[in-house]
Order: sequence, then structure tokens, then C-alpha cells
Amino acid sequence: MTPVATGASVAARVARGAPARPGVTFARALAAEWTKLTSVAAHAWLALGTVVAAAGTAFGLGMFVRPDDGRSGSWVVVSGFVLAQLGFLVLGSLVATSEYTTGTARTTFVAVPRRLPVLGAQVLVTAGAALLTALVALGASYLATTSARAGDAPALDLSVPGTARALLGFVVVSAAVALLGLGLGALLRRPADALVVGVVLVVFGDYVLTMFPGPVADTVRALLPSSGARLLQDDAALAGLDAVTRGPQLGAWGGGAVLAAWVLVLLGAAAYRLRRHDVR
Amino acid sequence: MIEVEALTKRYGSTTAVDGLTFAARPGTVTGFLGPNGAGKSTTMRVVVGLERATSGATRVDGRRYADLPAPLHAVGVMLDARSVHPGRTAYKHLLAMAQTHGIGKARVREVIAQTGLEPAAQRRAGTFSLGMGQRLGIAGALLGDPATLILDEPVNGLDPDGVLWIRRLVRELAAEGRTVLLSSHLMYELALCADRVVIIGRGRLLADASVQEIVDRSERAGTVRVRTTDPETLARELLALGAQVVPQTGGALEVTGTTVDDVGAAARRCGATVLELGTQTGSLEEAYLQLTGDAVEYRTADTLGGAR
Amino acid sequence: MTATTTTPVPVTTRTASGPTFGRVVASEWTKLASLRSPWWTAAVTVLVSLLITYLSAQASSVDPVFHPLSDVNTGLLLGQLGPLVLGVLVGAGEFRTGAFRSTFTVVPRRWPVLAAQTVVVGGFGLLLGVAVAVAGVLGVVPAAMARDVPVDLGADGTPGVLLGMVLYVAGLALLGFALGALLRRTVPALLTAFVLVLILPIVLMLADDPYGGSMSAADVRVTPLGTIGVLLPGTGGQLMTMPASNGPIDGSPDLGPVGGGLVLAAWVLAFLVAAAVRLRSRDVR
Repeated sequence: MTPVATGASVAARVARGAPARPGVTFARALAAEWTKLTSVAAHAWLALGTVVAAAGTAFGLGMFVRPDDGRSGSWVVVSGFVLAQLGFLVLGSLVATSEYTTGTARTTFVAVPRRLPVLGAQVLVTAGAALLTALVALGASYLATTSARAGDAPALDLSVPGTARALLGFVVVSAAVALLGLGLGALLRRPADALVVGVVLVVFGDYVLTMFPGPVADTVRALLPSSGARLLQDDAALAGLDAVTRGPQLGAWGGGAVLAAWVLVLLGAAAYRLRRHDVR
Repeated sequence: MIEVEALTKRYGSTTAVDGLTFAARPGTVTGFLGPNGAGKSTTMRVVVGLERATSGATRVDGRRYADLPAPLHAVGVMLDARSVHPGRTAYKHLLAMAQTHGIGKARVREVIAQTGLEPAAQRRAGTFSLGMGQRLGIAGALLGDPATLILDEPVNGLDPDGVLWIRRLVRELAAEGRTVLLSSHLMYELALCADRVVIIGRGRLLADASVQEIVDRSERAGTVRVRTTDPETLARELLALGAQVVPQTGGALEVTGTTVDDVGAAARRCGATVLELGTQTGSLEEAYLQLTGDAVEYRTADTLGGAR
Repeated sequence: MTATTTTPVPVTTRTASGPTFGRVVASEWTKLASLRSPWWTAAVTVLVSLLITYLSAQASSVDPVFHPLSDVNTGLLLGQLGPLVLGVLVGAGEFRTGAFRSTFTVVPRRWPVLAAQTVVVGGFGLLLGVAVAVAGVLGVVPAAMARDVPVDLGADGTPGVLLGMVLYVAGLALLGFALGALLRRTVPALLTAFVLVLILPIVLMLADDPYGGSMSAADVRVTPLGTIGVLLPGTGGQLMTMPASNGPIDGSPDLGPVGGGLVLAAWVLAFLVAAAVRLRSRDVR
């Protein structure tokens, strides 16, 4: 009988397959999260669906634009955002909630017991995927509205103030909405809850409040994440919005700041829950 | 090496684990037994940091699990085979796990081969049978070539080949000096591969000893069974010797408090012909049932007709 | 240990029949009522409706001409989320949790299960609708009392509005259920429900110009986008919650409350039929 190796020597030996510097690093957690995101077919379909929704809506709305509408060229291209933002919301929330609905969290947090690097990696991976998808969606929207521009719709004119910001806003706000979904998903851990709260915060709450114009309602509207959509408006449209509101006049960057604040607070709350609570 | 010290875990008003203390040592296979809901899975989840103890401590290799720099190389865990995204292939699932520690694809393929998953590696985990899902879980546990293994019901759903494979694997790993903690409900299987057994019931420690010691504790261990042509005379003779005698069907007697040799000699003195004579060995199952009799959380009623 | 021999006892079937429709309905009601999420969703819906109705009545009570009962249905603006989500969770829940395996073993012909679930969800939706209607009335009472305006439930088409609210809530619950049963996964079903009921009307509003550029109410005409809009389940169904005297939504043909109800019913029926077809012809895994 060969002598049994002692526990200490087993623990101290080099494990098979281990890299030169073994252990968990943030870069490694990032690689793992990217593999997890890209290895599920449903995520790709969701991204494709989001692109189609954006382009299709832009195409549809573009058909009905008339020259005296007061709409700018950038509005025609980014108008698909109102529908596409749902896709980004779901993408972000899926990245977080599927860990809990599939039980994968048990594998993930056994491999990375410090937990926060995983959330950080998910933030980067979600933002990256969302930015990529939004760029494609923007391009597709532009292509889809060429026929509208050949007809009655105004051309995309970068000299119109706020146009460049609106185009950039489409991409950035899409990523921010995805991160909002990630924060909600990581915090609430159930996809239905995250989706309902997300839809209300990002689009529907704003719509309901427009039915009750008044200083209180307008202030609440300004403080919802939906005011981040102001970054997609050009200067003329923004001036119109600011003139009508009886709440704070946020402008584009103000709206963006509100959305950013929501994302940070939700991700912070999610991080707290992740550290403190059990993973079942 | 796993150390559990006065571990208590409460969920609201329910106490799942109550002051549990035991250790699983390197080079041994430690079996973890207990009725359903006794706290085995909870204990394992606290050891690997998924849940936080209400009080007490657990240590792996002398450290808290969260303080280990490379957890997958220190501990390999299989808690629940359903911890995989059904839309992901087995290969990608293991790859993502490996990437957190910088483990290479070669090792992933090695572990897939070792667990017999090669034909299914590129299939989505949602299409797996129970047994294949178990193998995937074990593959994940082996991925980091860890010094300690924690396996929760590893043979659940495996075919006889698989059960044998686990038994050999687990004994091999222990022989290499690793620590193995495995929980199971298959008593005879556990008796074949475990060196020590920790039995818990209702969150409390009931026994922590080697398999042989526990088997010997079962009530039937050491009982002599004798079948003769004249049981009544023999019974009177044995009672006179001070032994306890329990009659069985078919004229057999179960005798406690004396040795096989003495019973044989007593039969000769009576003039009875001995047809059957031997010592009963206890079994792990019996010892376990006797120990945990009071601690069973979910008890079924007796069967209809009173048959036992 | 003495061993007793037992002779096999023949099992007598006391009742010869199996799952009748009534029994399946009773079983489905038990399943629904034993979950927490329908009750919780219902409670939140009623509270939110009450709150919004109260706030809206307070806001309009400052107007010189104040009809408290015109605000009775405002709570549904946000409250409509509740029955929709509830329906989806019940519809998809069977498949999400794997409970369908035992359900379809007990009732192998399957469609009675779907029919029974429809009855149960519709029933629960009606109960919720009644609760929401009551909440709506209670919500306007404080403002009405403050302004000394009597709350007369018989006047101004209010009974029709209240009935419409009850039916709208039940209809949304059934729509969510049908989508959940058809798509079998919570997230796609919720997403579809939200797009159809909540988001598409907003999208259409962005493009539509029912006034054709003029400022006068007399120049309102029916537009294609307005027509599409009112044929959506949410907007169509909402016509039930408004008095017929309100007239059509700007830009859409005048369907009236009954027409709007039929639109919603048609969508529910279509999705239910699709769900039934899927149930019969596909393997259930």
C-alpha cells in the first residue's frame, strides 16, 4: 500500500490545470461573465429583436411625419427608442435574474465568494452588449428611415443644434436603461418584479403622470429615470418640453444625471443585498 | 480539511442547524447522514459561503471560505445538479466556471472526459437527464483539482455504473490525501465508501464515529441466531445461563448476552441438532434508523394492514 | 420480530368517474387561491387605484365645475398593470414551475384544464374588478364631501362606467393569462403584454395627428393610426371604462363602450385559441 499523502501536502501542491498565478481576479470574472452572456441563444434573439423593434418603429413613424410637424431629422432616426428601450431593460434584468431563476448563482458565488466582482463584471458586460446593440439599432433605424427622408421627413442634419447629442443619447441611454434593468434584477431577483418596476420607472410612470399635469406631477416626472430620454431630444424639442413643464426644467444633461443617479443607487442597493443576503 | 464549530443557522423561527461541531479530515471519506430536512445541505451551503451562519464558524484549510484566494482549487462543490442555465451547453457552463480562475480549456475538456460527458458536452443542459446533470455537477466540482470535495447526494439519479464510478472516484480522491465530505441516503453505498460517518438529526449532531463503530452500535450487532430441532429446551438452557432469548419464526432463536461458542455448547448439552448458527452483524442502515428514530422530521404513517 | 402475512386486499373504486369539468374548475381555483402572488398583486392594484383616484379627485376638485364621478376610472391608468401581470403569472406559472406535468397526467385531455383556468382567472378578475370599482368610488368620496357635491351612483352613465371597469379588469387578466398560456415563459409573455397594452398606444400617439394641423376641435378626423390604436386591446378595452357620452378618442372611429369591449374580447379569444392549439398539438416537456 502506498503511503497516503498528508492533507497539508495535498493542499500545498499545484492543482492540475491551474494557471501560473492561481486565483480569482476581476479580469477573469469579466471573461467568465462575457462567456455566460454570449453562450445563451435567447440573449442574441433579444438583441436582434431590440434592433428590429427600433428600426421597425422608426420606419413606421417615419411614414407619418409631415414637413410642418416640427420634427427634426434626429427625431425620425431615434424615434424607435420608445419601444426598443424595453429590450434593453429586459436584457439587463435577465443577466441578473437568470442567476437566481436557474440556480446558476450557486455555481457563480461558490467560484467567486467575494461576490461583488461578479456584479461589477456584469455591469461592464451588460453595458458593452447594450452599447453594441444600440449602435446596430441606430444604424438600422437610419437605414430604415431613408425612404421616409426621401419623402416628407426632414433629413438628418448635424448642424441642427442637439442632433449629435440626440444620436449619442440613443446609444448611451440604451446602455443606461440596460444597467437599470441589471440593478433591478440583481436587487429584486425575480424577472416579473424587475420588469414591472422597470417598465413603470422607465416609460409608463411618465405617461401616467402626463395625464395629471401640475407642479407635483411634473416634479415627480422630472425625477423618474424616464427623464433620461431627454438626451435623445434635440434643442428645439427640449425647449418645447421645458416651456410646458411646471416642475424643474432639467434640460438634456439634467435628465441624464437623474437617470445616472437612479442607476447608481439601484446598483448600490443590489451590491448591498448581494453581500449581506444568503444566496439560495 | 473542513471544520465546523458550534454552527447554528436559523431562518426566522426555524432552526435548521443547532450547535453542530464536526470535522472532515484529509485522506478520509466522511459520510454525512441525516433524515430529510436535518440540515445537511444547509451546513454545506454555509461552509462554502452561500449562506451566512447565525452563530458559530466554519473553516476550510483553516480559513474562512471567502478568504481563500483560489476557492475552486481548495474546494470542489456539488450542491444541486439543477444549478445550470438550461440554455447553456455543458462545455460553456464549465468554461465560464474555469475562466473565473484562469483555468484553461484543456482542463475543461479533461474533466468532461473524466466524467463521461464527452458525447453531451455540446448539448444544452436543459436537455440533460438527471444522471447527466449529476455528472455535470461533479465535473464542476473536479474542475479545480481541489484538495477538498463536498458532494451533496452525488449518486442521486446515476445508473449502477455511475454509482460504482463514484464509489471508486471518491476512494481514489481520499487515497490521494484529499478531504471528501459526501452526503447520501444510500446506506449500503455509504458504508462501502466512507471511513467516518457524521449523523445529524433536526440540526443536531447524533453521532460522529467510524463506520465500524456505528455499525457495532446497532442493536442487532453481536446477536447470535440459532436454529435447532428443539428450540424450547435450548431456550430454557440459555435463559438459565443468563442470556436473553427472543423466539423467531421457523423455530429459530435470537440470543443476546452470550457468545456463539457458548450457544453451540448449550445446544450440544440439550441434545438438539444445530441447523443454523451464526452472529448477526449490524448494518449502517439499522444503526442510523435507531439513532435518528426520534429526529425524523417527515415521518410516513405505518402501511395499511399493519404490515411491517 | 414477528412477521405477519398479509393477503392482498382488492382496491374498490368507490366513484367510477374521473375529472369532470366541475372538478377541474374546483381544482384550478384551489391552485390559484393557494398562491401568494395573485392576492398580493390584487392588493397592490386596489391600493394603487385608490390612491390615484383620490389624488386625481383632489386635483380636479379645484375646478369650478366638479363632477367627482368623472374621476372614478383614473386609478385604472396605473392599476391596469395589476390584472395583466396577475394573468401572465397564472398562465405561464404552470409551465414555469413544472406543475403541468402532474396536471396533464391527471387530466390527459388537456383542454379542460385550459378552459377551467380561463373560468377561474376570469372569476378572480371579476372579483378584482369589483374591488377596483369600489376603490374608485371610495377614492372620489373625500373630495366630493369637501366640495359638498353629492355622489350619485345612478347618474351620468356611472353604472355603465363601473361595469366597464369591472369587465376591463377581468378582460386584462384574461389577456395576460392567454398570453402566459400561449408563450409559457413569464418574461416573453409579460413583454408582449406590456408592448400591446401599454407601449404601442404611446408609440402611435407620437406619430398621430388627428387634427391635421388645425387647432379647431371641429376638424378632428379619423386617421389610420388612430384606427389601429383603438383596435389594440388596451385602448379598445379602456373605452368600456368611459361613458358613452365622451365620444370617440381623437382620431379613432366611434366604437363606444360595447365596441371597445368586443375588441378586447376578440384579442383574448384569439390568444386563447392559439394557446389551446399549442396545447393539443405539441409535446409537453
